This record gives sequence, structure tokens and C-alpha cells, in this order.
Amino acid sequence: MNNLIEFFKKAFHIIVLAVLLILSIVMLGTSLSFNEHRLARGVQSIVGPIQKSGAGMIHRFRLGPENEELVKQNVELMRERENMFIEKEDTTLTEMSQPDSLHRERIRLYDYTYAHVIFRTVDRAFNYMIVDKGAKDGICRDMAVLSPSGVAGVVTDVSSNFATVRPILHPESRISAVVTPANQNGTVIWEGDNPRVAYLEAIPQHSEINIGDSVFTNGYSNIFPKGLLIGTVKEVQVGNNASFLTIKVKLATNYTDIYTVYLVENLFKSELDTLKANFKDE
Amino acid sequence: MNNIISNLIRFIILLIVQIAICQHICLFGYMTPALFLLALFLLPLELPLSLQYLIGFVTGFVVDSFAHTLGVSMFSCTLMMFFRPYVAHFLNGSNNNKFENIDRPVPGVKDFRWIFLYTLILTSIYQISAVMLGTMSFRNFGHTLLVILGNTFFTVFVILCVEYIFHPRLKNEI
Repeated sequence: MNNLIEFFKKAFHIIVLAVLLILSIVMLGTSLSFNEHRLARGVQSIVGPIQKSGAGMIHRFRLGPENEELVKQNVELMRERENMFIEKEDTTLTEMSQPDSLHRERIRLYDYTYAHVIFRTVDRAFNYMIVDKGAKDGICRDMAVLSPSGVAGVVTDVSSNFATVRPILHPESRISAVVTPANQNGTVIWEGDNPRVAYLEAIPQHSEINIGDSVFTNGYSNIFPKGLLIGTVKEVQVGNNASFLTIKVKLATNYTDIYTVYLVENLFKSELDTLKANFKDE
Repeated sequence: MNNIISNLIRFIILLIVQIAICQHICLFGYMTPALFLLALFLLPLELPLSLQYLIGFVTGFVVDSFAHTLGVSMFSCTLMMFFRPYVAHFLNGSNNNKFENIDRPVPGVKDFRWIFLYTLILTSIYQISAVMLGTMSFRNFGHTLLVILGNTFFTVFVILCVEYIFHPRLKNEI
């Protein structure tokens, strides 16, 4: 008996070693043979959240480049939207084939690019923004500026590397808009109080406007494409002026938190402007 | 007591570094350092053997949990801890089975040649076991051998660098 105890005392570490080695081999075996073994799953449930937060932390450092990629991808997708084109009948093709089938070709009317806001004001009477692209990058006057959530403003001045944007939050800003589903056209203006709220003017009193209706661009100006969100109706009042409603619009764009903007160029702007100017002259 | 705390802190720091950084390094596509082995190397040699095995086992478990290779490091660390006293005896060139308190595997106490061979042999044991268990086949054995050599070289290099950079502080601690 004494010999046995003596033996155990001497060989204790060997027994521990054997047990540990066998245990690890068993663990290896189970983790190899069962894809989702209970043990592996148990370990994963503890380790997983730690690893996830670590990966999230590392991911945060890569967010900048990734975001830039997504913005580029977004621009590509936006360029292909329906309201970017006008359709025209291709007369030569129609004549060549059967006369009853119309050959339509799509002509690109608008083109997109993007920029980042490097300076902006929201609390003044005359607000403005500056973006980090200018004439060198093909930015020109009267390009429309969109935020990811809606209409943001219009380019008013361009230097070689930067451009000034007049946001909706400016007394001179006027954007022709349509309120749906009533389908009434009006103008969005800002009255210098709240950077989240603008007014929709020139909506006749008989039209049925409900709170929460969407206000879109109508494409009448040569600046904004059709169907871009400006905001949603917040409040409807029968104004002092008897024939029109006073409508408060909650702007879709949050100017206090704006960084990436999309710029829209009307490729036929000069042509359209010439026509308009000619009309005035007559 | 002081010794236990300093060892514990070293384990925690090295494991965090291993899990957060070293585990994600893949130099030339196959070289991954196992820096946490340093914590095992610096354990006092006169600890009870079964405790040493247990420490190796638990350390391997922590590393495995985060590397999704349950069992691989556990086995290899335990095996390495088993060989550790023999390697130390062999390098000491003595047959005396008892380690003195002065007999620490630390730079300053031992010369560079001793530390280098000690690190090299033990790292080789760990890496051979770990890589073989990780691949679990003899197919493409040339590549497996390359991984073993690469990992061993890189690990020894990193461990020696860290050991000699923090050498003065280690000496003060002990």
C-alpha cells in the first residue's frame, strides 16, 4: 500500500500530463468531427462577442475608405435612375424599320458626382456651405446639391478647387416643388428661423394636403432632376392670404450633420437657358 | 507572492498581444508568431511539474478559443511544458534533477547562447506539434515543413527581441 502511494506521488505529474494531453486530443477530435459541437459552441458564445467588438473597433479605422467606395458606388447607381434621362424618338431608325414601332433612345440629361462639405453654417440668416471640389473637378455654377437624404442646395460660386453652395436655408433659395399625393406645384422657401423647417408656398387653398405628405422636386427648373425628396409636410395652416395655404415642410436634409453631398449637373443647361432667355427677349 | 503577480501580469499582457495582434499576422502568407510562448518560457523552473502542465494547458485553451483551433495549442503547450525541464537540464549540462532558485531562464542569469537554444528547441517542439495537428495530414508535406520552419524562425525572432528589449525590467522584477 505504501508502495502504491509512493508510486502515485512520484508519477502524479505524469498522470496529470496524460490526462491533459488526452483531454486536448478529445477536444481537437470533437471540434474536427462535429461542425457545431456543444463545446465549440460554448467557447464561441464567450469568445464571439469579444472578437466581434474587437473586429468592430478595427473596422472603425477602415470606415473612411469603405465609405468613399460606397459613395462612388452610389453615384454609379444614381446615374442610372429613370429621372436622369429623357426619351426621344429616334427618327432615322423608325423610318428604316416598321413604321408602327417607335425606336426610342435615351438621352442623358443629368450627370452625378460627389463632394464633401468642409464648411457650413446653419444658424445665420444667409447660410452657405463650402465643398471640397471645384472647377478642376468639373463643378460649375447652378449644379444641384443633394444630401444622402434629400435636396440640399445649389452651387452658386466656383473656384478652382472649391465651390460655394447655397443651401435651402437662404432667403434667396427657391425650389419649385410638387406635393404628393395632391400633385400641386409650389415653391419651397425658407424664412430664416428654424434650420429644419421651410415653407411651401403657392399651394391653392382647395387642395387636400395632409400632414406627412412628401414634397418632391418637380423638375421645372433646369437644376434639379424630377422626383427628389425635399421634405415632408409638418403643418398646414390657412394663411392670411385667402387663396393659398401656408405649409410648413420638415426638410429631409439635416444640415447640422452633412458631410457627403452629391452634385447633379444638367448636361443641356446652356441650351435650355438660351431658350428661356430668348423667350424673355421677345 | 510578488513573483506570482508579475508572472500573471506577463501572461495577461502577452495573451492580449497574441490574440489582438500576433494571431492576425501572416507574414508571406504562412509565418505567424506565437509570442505568448514567452510567458511559458519565463515561468520559474522549480514550479511543481503538474502545475506547469496545467498552466500550459489553460494558456493553450485561451489561445485556441480565439483562434478557433480548439485542442491544437492546448496539446502543443502541454507537450512543450513537459519537455521544458529536460531542455533546461540538457542546456545546463548537469544531471542534477533539482533546480536552484538562481536557475531562472532569464537573460542576465543565462547567457545569450543558452536563451537562444532554449527558445529555439521549445519553440520547435511547439510549432511541430501545432502545425501538424492543425493540418492533420501528410499531403503537401513540403509546405507543412515550410510553415513549421517559418513559424519557428519568426517566433524565436520575435520572442528574443521582446525578451532583450524588456530585459532590464525583467531582471529587476526577479
